[in-house]
Amino acid sequence: MATYSLANERLRALEDIEREIGAILQNAGTVILELSKEKTNERLLDRQAAAFTASVQHVEAELSAQIRYLTQVATGQPHEGSSYSSRKDCQMALKRVDYTRLKLSDVARTCEQMLEN
Amino acid sequence: MAQQRALPQSKETLLQSYNKRLKDDVKSIMDNFTEIIKTAKIEDETQVSRATQGEQDNYEMHVRAANIVRAGESLMKLVSDLKQFLILNDFPSVNEAIDQRNQQLRALQEECDRKLIALRDEISIDLYELEEEYYSSSSSLCEAHDLPLCEAYWRLDLDTDSADGLSAPVLASPEPTTGPMQAAVPAHSHASGPGPSEHT
Repeated sequence: MATYSLANERLRALEDIEREIGAILQNAGTVILELSKEKTNERLLDRQAAAFTASVQHVEAELSAQIRYLTQVATGQPHEGSSYSSRKDCQMALKRVDYTRLKLSDVARTCEQMLEN
Repeated sequence: MAQQRALPQSKETLLQSYNKRLKDDVKSIMDNFTEIIKTAKIEDETQVSRATQGEQDNYEMHVRAANIVRAGESLMKLVSDLKQFLILNDFPSVNEAIDQRNQQLRALQEECDRKLIALRDEISIDLYELEEEYYSSSSSLCEAHDLPLCEAYWRLDLDTDSADGLSAPVLASPEPTTGPMQAAVPAHSHASGPGPSEHT
């Protein structure tokens, strides 16, 4: 989930759409349940039915927009960029730090031995 | 050229299929929901007995509800496919993600190197003092040709200066030292030099 925070509003929007689809099904179930009762609460029924319709239209509009964006942006080629070089440089820097720590601990140990002697 | 046309066509076909799936699923949800609401209406006159009509309506509602759920699940699958397509083919956001990652890694590397350089500067001062202490103490077991680190650095500095200024030829014999730490003999010709005994 942390990787989605990297400039990907669209993935977050798609996750919201997934939640909304779940809400659509829940609204539909609530409406049918309410209809099955002997004494129906009309206001609740109207509210849930309106929410259901609005959600369905919203989901359709959002997904159409996403597909339209992808039609404009998609090419046939694979993306060949990578962050490998900077990752390797960073790895080498961390190795340098580890090596320095090792050598410093050696020096410290030598000093302590000299002090004991 | 033909191959170039083929690849975008498959992407285009894929996106058109996504559109079709979206329309079909939304239509299925709305139609089935509407039909359930219509079926819920109780009619006075029925062609079959009330019980049979009731059973039929019950079955129909079950089927339509299952259709709504299937269409909902198909929509979720569509969203998942769109996410995958987005991750692989949305080049602007992929470029941005790569740039951000590169920046983070470069910043971390620069910080590590900066701290190492600061550490090196601090430790070099302490090392000079430690070496002085060590080589002047009785516990030092170094041989005559071993130079303390500080003297080796200073000798290297002197050699660099003389090489830059005069291009002096290699001297056969060492010059007399004027001080405990100064030696003008080029390091190339002499592996050995004034030992630590000359310091005192």
